[in-house]
Order: sequence, then C-alpha cells, then structure tokens
Amino acid sequence: MTITNERNNEQLTIALEGRLDTTTAPQLEKFLSENTDGIKDMVLDLEKLEYISSAGLRVILGAHKQMSKIGSLKLINVCDEVMEVFDMTGFTDILDIE
Amino acid sequence: MIKIENLCKKYGDFSVLENINTEIHKGDVVSIIGPSGCGKSTFIRCLNLLEQPTSGKIFIDGEDILDKNADVCKLRQKMGMVFQSFNLFSHLMIIENIMLGPVDLLKKSRQEAYDEGMELLEMVGLANKAFAYPDELSGGQKQRVAIARTLAMHPDIVLFDEPTSALDPTMVSEVLAVIRKLAAKGMTMMIVTHEMNFAKNVSNRIFFMNDKGIYEDGTPQQIFENPKKPKTKEFIYKIRTFNFTIEDKKFDLYAFNSEIENFLKNQLFDEKRINKVLLVCEEMIYNYIFKSFGDSFSPVEFTLRYSQQKDETTLLYKSELINKSVLSAAEDISRSIVDKSVSSVECDDNTLTVTI
Repeated sequence: MTITNERNNEQLTIALEGRLDTTTAPQLEKFLSENTDGIKDMVLDLEKLEYISSAGLRVILGAHKQMSKIGSLKLINVCDEVMEVFDMTGFTDILDIE
Repeated sequence: MIKIENLCKKYGDFSVLENINTEIHKGDVVSIIGPSGCGKSTFIRCLNLLEQPTSGKIFIDGEDILDKNADVCKLRQKMGMVFQSFNLFSHLMIIENIMLGPVDLLKKSRQEAYDEGMELLEMVGLANKAFAYPDELSGGQKQRVAIARTLAMHPDIVLFDEPTSALDPTMVSEVLAVIRKLAAKGMTMMIVTHEMNFAKNVSNRIFFMNDKGIYEDGTPQQIFENPKKPKTKEFIYKIRTFNFTIEDKKFDLYAFNSEIENFLKNQLFDEKRINKVLLVCEEMIYNYIFKSFGDSFSPVEFTLRYSQQKDETTLLYKSELINKSVLSAAEDISRSIVDKSVSSVECDDNTLTVTI
C-alpha cells in the first residue's frame, strides 16, 4: 500500500493506494501516530484503495475515535468494493463518508 | 460372467492398477468414468488381454483367462472390443470388414456372414453403405460399422474404449444411440466414456476409477446424485482445488493471495468475487484461526474448492489446533464481514469449513 499526504495547517489529507489488510494496516497505524499532531481535520482519500479487511477497518476506527475528540475525520472517494465492506460492518453509520 | 480378482498392472516400476476386485453380471451395462490417466482404458484392455495384467485373476464364465493353459483366443472371442479409433481395413468394403472375422475365425460361410453382416448394418442404420469403403464414411458412421463388426463375432460382452472421443461432436449422438439400442437388447457392455449424461442414462452400474482402482462403484443415481467418496465428489461436481500450507503466523499473505487470485481467475471469477474470497480467507486466518490459537501454532492445511456445477466456493482449514472455539474467536468487525459474506461456517474434526 502506498500512503501519500498533504498537510495544510490543521488539515491533513491522506491518500491510500492499494490494499489495506493485515499486512499493511500497521503501516497506516504507524503513519497516523507519527503525523497527526496538531491536526484537527483529517481526510482519507480512498479513491485508489481497492481492498480493505477488518485489520484496516480497525485502524480507521481508531483514527475516527481519536479525531472525534479533537476535530473530524472524513472519508472521500470510496470505491464500491470498499464501501461494501463499510456497509457490512456498519461503518457507513458511524463514519463521515462523502 | 466376469470375475476379477486382485488385478494389478504395472509398467516397469510404475503401477497403474492395483488390486481390482469386481464382478460383471450378464446384462450389466457398466460405464467406467474418471479423470484422464486414471487407468480406465488400461483396465478394459487388461480384460481382453490387449494389455497383459501383471498379476491377478480374470474369470470368464468360471475360466481364468490368465491361466497358462487357458485358450486365450477362444476366450477373447467372447469379448468384443470397440476402440476410439475405428481400426477398419481401408482396402475392404464395409460389408467385407464385417464378414472378415466370422468367415476367418468362426468359419461361417460367406453367405451366412454376409446375411448377418447386412442385418447388423441395418441395425446400426448403415445398410446403404455396405459396399462403400471406410474412407467414404464419416467418423460416426465408421464407428457404427466398428460396432457392427464387433457384434458379428457374437460376443458375450462388448468393451468400448472411449467410442466417441475421436468424433466430431455432431456425430457423437448417432454412436451413442447404437450403444443405447444394444443396452436395451440386454447386451452386456463395459464402456469407458467421458459422456457423463450418456453414462447416467444408459448404464446400470458406474465404476468411478481413481487411485489405481475402482474408487467407487454404484448405480448411476448413487454416483451422479449422491457420491460418497471425496474424489468422486470432486469429479462429479467438477470441483477444482487449490492447496496451500500455512507454515507459521508470519506466512506470506501476498504470495497466498496471489496464488488464490490466479486460481480463481482460471475459474473465470471477476475481480469483485475474487476480492470477496480473499477477504473471507484473510478474516478466517487472522481473526478466527490465529486468534483461537493464542500463542500456540500448528501448521494449517488450506484447501480452496470450487464446484463449477454448484458455482460454490468452499474454504477448508485443517490444523491440529483447530477446534470449535475457533467459531467464537473473532471480534465483531471480522464476524460481521464473515457473516455477511458466507453461507455457512462449520467446524468438525480439526477442520474449519467455510462455504461462500
């Protein structure tokens, strides 16, 4: 999985490309722990994310919990396959998906 | 009528048939099915000694044809054989091809052989081709002549070795119709065939051959509708299988995924469906199995089976450490994914079985 990001003051946009699974979820978790200081608005651009498993969902859920205390987390450009997994797990009810 | 005891056939050190035991009764129509290379043709060729069995006994009407003192030629005459390639003499007319055996071996008069030959040609629907040469006939017609030629020797049993395999699909049915006609007349037959519907409709017994022998023997209903043994099921339900051993918890998930992806692409799965299988595989391995293992580990034999006939994918995970606790190991997120993606999850005999 490739992670790219763009920071604009307190806003951070993170674009994920590839597969967010058991193997790559720790990579995103590490990235979030090292790059989110001072961030109030986080955007996850999932346009190029083609697969997500529960390991990836847990990291996103962690980010959601963290950001809801200090600001917001928004998911954008979610493809059908990933959206289907969000639907199965009820994530569409708790996440801000655009 | 035919009793086979401990029949074995080896080519050098390579064993093809091992300890086959069975009996064929008068009027039986036995279809012999199985994957390519499983020994079907070798088996049938051993019965009339076109292949010399390595050991065992074959009794025909109580007489062991493998006995040193047996009159093999006479016994062989009791068995007709129809081959995949028709083996007609191209320089002889059709009727002459049919008369050859009866005149030369049964010592019939030419007139008698001719009359019987014409009757047989009538029966296979080719009386109007009696004076044609084999090259003037289609494949299906040649095979019908070959059947008539076999019947001219008045065999007690006819062995068919893939009688339609060399034919254009449009000609298969005419040959099968003749065989069906013989079955209706009570002719004892053994037919090596890949025509499953035909085997199902025409036979009273099916031998499914695998593992160097008759792996499962039953009525068409038993074999085609309710096969008991695993390899019969794989064959009948057209099951394709992929195997992988998970050697430790840090196994290469990408290599595993990539092999599954290639396997499923060969089964014409689209990307969405492949992703669904990969998702379930991943959830089961990490969040059900590894979680239930705790700090322990035991290799997991993973099998993915795809049944073309049922369009069903089954995942099997077998390991010494797998027990019923695996079913309750996963957390909510993983459980939701699995529950909504699969039709069943069961655990029995150290095996977790997931059907998608």
